Amino acid sequence: MAGRGKLIAVIGDEDTCTGFLLGGIGELNKNRKPNFLVVEKDTNGETGPDSVLKMSNLKIKLSSNSLTEYIKYTYKDWARIRLKNVLDQIPFRNHLL
Amino acid sequence: MGVSEVEESSLQLDEKLMRFMDQLELLEEKRATLNSLIEQGWFSMSKARYSMGNKQVSVLQYASEMKPLVCVNARMQDNGEVQFCTEQQTEKSSKESAKDLRPAEDIGPQEEGVRRRNKPKKTEKDPSEDASSKKAPEVSPVRKSEHNPQQDPLKWFGILVPQSLKQAQSSFKQGMALQVQANLCFTWVCLENTLVKLVWGCFWI
Repeated sequence: MAGRGKLIAVIGDEDTCTGFLLGGIGELNKNRKPNFLVVEKDTNGETGPDSVLKMSNLKIKLSSNSLTEYIKYTYKDWARIRLKNVLDQIPFRNHLL
Repeated sequence: MGVSEVEESSLQLDEKLMRFMDQLELLEEKRATLNSLIEQGWFSMSKARYSMGNKQVSVLQYASEMKPLVCVNARMQDNGEVQFCTEQQTEKSSKESAKDLRPAEDIGPQEEGVRRRNKPKKTEKDPSEDASSKKAPEVSPVRKSEHNPQQDPLKWFGILVPQSLKQAQSSFKQGMALQVQANLCFTWVCLENTLVKLVWGCFWI
């Protein structure tokens, strides 16, 4: 990992995650934690994004507009993550929330 | 504050406001391009799912081992702005890959006791070495046929994938490159800060 660039993470619906993974951003680290999160109806907004937002080797995270708003008000460490990482927004296909 | 100073400040504010509006327009154009690329990708993926089957293009097809093909590097420019750029991840170095290189004949269990008929002259060696060294020097080594985590993600969905899936991949790659290079989020934050400064500047005048 030393000397390697940072990665891109994605939080979104299945199609969005599949598309960006086709682009080659997907990674399963040594603990088999992915750098993406497929949001479904039963995804927990408080702890679900933990696996993605707390990874240290991520530079940019992509999340849809409505998801970002949802995570903002439910995710417990939002303020700290918001300051630490770049969270960019992408369109959201399925309105699950 | 003299009249000339007020006028000068007003001119500066006007200049900054015009620059702000130009950058905002540019940002909105890039965001519209990104949205259209992603929508194009969704549409292509839907076409691929229609031809391959619903379950053939889904989370179930994701590989169990993944290595990123793209990473992001941040560079500080001369004007103090941060510039992001994407970089293709190369495969492991030639030294590491050399360990994986074995001649085609050596794949599989070794057969001891089989010797070549026309062996070159050599010093005394163990019989086990003879069995392992029976490869011909002109055989081009091949990689082990193991799952390469850094393979093209298109192969998760099969060997022969429809053109629409390749188009989806291309659309998402372009969208991702645009998003990173345009620094969309950073640009938006900078514009917000500029707007706040402009408002405060107007207030003090």
